[in-house]
Amino acid sequence: MKLSCNDRERIFLDGSAEEWAALEQHAEGCSACAEEIRAWKSLSVAAEELRNYPEDAGLWTKIKTSLLEQQPKIVRRGFWDTLGIGSEISVGWRAALAGALVIVLALSGVYVVRHGNKTEPGQSRLLKNSGLAEVERTERDYRKAIDQLAAETKPQLESPATPLLTSYKEKLLVLDSAIDELRMEAGRNPSNTHLRYQLLAMYQEKQETLQEVLETKR
Amino acid sequence: MGTLGLALRWEDRITCAPGEGGRRVEPSEIAAVQNREEKAASEDAALAAGCLAGDLRAYERLYYLQGARMRNLARNLLGSQTDAEDAVQDTFLKIQRGIRTFRGQSAFVTWAFRILVNTCHDVRRSRVRRKEQSREEGSETAPRPEPRAPGAHPSLRMALERALAMLTQHQRDVFLLYEVEGFRHTEIATLLEISETASKNTLFQAKKNLRGMLEPLRSSEAGGRQ
Repeated sequence: MKLSCNDRERIFLDGSAEEWAALEQHAEGCSACAEEIRAWKSLSVAAEELRNYPEDAGLWTKIKTSLLEQQPKIVRRGFWDTLGIGSEISVGWRAALAGALVIVLALSGVYVVRHGNKTEPGQSRLLKNSGLAEVERTERDYRKAIDQLAAETKPQLESPATPLLTSYKEKLLVLDSAIDELRMEAGRNPSNTHLRYQLLAMYQEKQETLQEVLETKR
Repeated sequence: MGTLGLALRWEDRITCAPGEGGRRVEPSEIAAVQNREEKAASEDAALAAGCLAGDLRAYERLYYLQGARMRNLARNLLGSQTDAEDAVQDTFLKIQRGIRTFRGQSAFVTWAFRILVNTCHDVRRSRVRRKEQSREEGSETAPRPEPRAPGAHPSLRMALERALAMLTQHQRDVFLLYEVEGFRHTEIATLLEISETASKNTLFQAKKNLRGMLEPLRSSEAGGRQ
């Protein structure tokens, strides 16, 4: 590859490996370019001076304490509060919104099942070995926790007393079916990170819905 | 360009994308890079899942893997160790509050760093507001002296810090993320919500400006030694 001094800045900006090699070869006979390359690279070396990673266990202790303090507040937040409309929305509107969510979830469930396992070529969003085991273990724990929550809502949902609870029941049925489909897909394709994230989003939605059902009791 | 002198310490980090750094990437290296990418993706998904489930061990793991890098970035963005630690702590709380909104559109760690950078920007903004207020009230406070990193070359470090302070916020962010913390342009693009090309252009402009500011100093040092 033949290069001139005029190519230098373009290569500094976005040169390929081959272009860099060619520029360095050109610099062997060009003192101006050699000096420019040296100055350019020296900035990266100087940047090392700003890198300092000392151990600090004390900060983690502080963070952990704050996380523990904050955690219960988050768990108490309901689905409608998460949307920022917790106190303003009436029961009738909640029922209507829950119904709309059922339709949206049903449609997205169909979409996910049809398109969820397509990954673009070259995309490496795959889970491997220990990472996969860790994800599956965490998922199992999460599912167990949600099942416990579901057991608490069972009496309310078995014979729903209000249209809102009926909507929640339908939404949960759709969610369960979407989760089953996604788990089946994940079983066929266990390393697909994208599927895992979608599954997590569904679990999360289910958890929030169950929490909301429990809140109607209060 | 970017890789020279950057001995990255994080095993999950991908050292350089092909085409950056002026060095040919051999096929065996590509396989190793892919392996590291896969391992990083697994770790990332496990971290996200753990944090979403409210598992404190996942947050601890995130701190163990990225805490030092987060502290370093925050310190370089804010110029203060105390403010940096507060920003990192705040970032973890924001992650816990916002984990339900994370949909996996970027890597979880990139998302966490995005929160950190935004938190640092908030701190800077409120600092400017406080400064303006105290100026209005006529009680300007003296800047606090900051402890230097042990082992760092003090004059070079100070010169670089002074020069970085003169860059635009955007240029400073990109330079620190790329050259100091070792993020790739694709990651910086996600982190700062800009295009990859914009990230490359900003880094180029930042380095040009830094060079302009640091070169006279280097030349005078060289002249002094003669």
